[in-house]
Amino acid sequence: MNMENLVIILGLIMITIGAFFEVVGALGVLRLKGFFNRIHAVTASAIGGAALPLLGVALVSAFAPWMIPQGYYLAGICFTATILILLLAPAGAHALARSAYLCKNIRKKFIYDDLVEHLKERRR
Amino acid sequence: MSFLKSIVATTVEIVTVIYLITAIIYLFRIVRGPTIFDRILAVDALNYNLTVFMALLALYLEIPMIALGMIVVSLWLYALDIYVSKYIEFKEIGE
Repeated sequence: MNMENLVIILGLIMITIGAFFEVVGALGVLRLKGFFNRIHAVTASAIGGAALPLLGVALVSAFAPWMIPQGYYLAGICFTATILILLLAPAGAHALARSAYLCKNIRKKFIYDDLVEHLKERRR
Repeated sequence: MSFLKSIVATTVEIVTVIYLITAIIYLFRIVRGPTIFDRILAVDALNYNLTVFMALLALYLEIPMIALGMIVVSLWLYALDIYVSKYIEFKEIGE
């Protein structure tokens, strides 16, 4: 057993862990109540269920001996998409959560809200 | 070598079926979501699902040109988030 097979098996393990995270995120989106619980599930599944299996696909395709010329292209594309998702998914989710907090229809269902007084002070 | 290839093919098939099932759940949330934020959030999750699906399909069919759309989808998703949040916060799409 040489080194390439170990890297391919590591990539397959990362793809399988990504499928587990995706199932967890889907169940969270289906079952949790309220927007801010759902955004927690979606961002967890965006990093664990999209960035991790893309890195696994990059590892498998870069080290697989049966796709020598075209595997390097696929590894490069997957690595670039991984970096983009790691940068852009938390920023987009943060902007969406901020605009949802500034909406009054969602905010009036909260039990305890400590940021309202800060907003009132800022508007003066 | 062909043994390892068959292991990779079997794993990719099973994971692809799992991703298709979760895509149906996200479609349910898109149709039924109470507010517009839930719909945007489900579109986010569905498109991250789509990127991994394209990568798995390119790995399974050994055609890397399928995976070129992943970068476009992930960039478009960020633009969707920023547009919706800016429009709801300031009532205009920013200049």
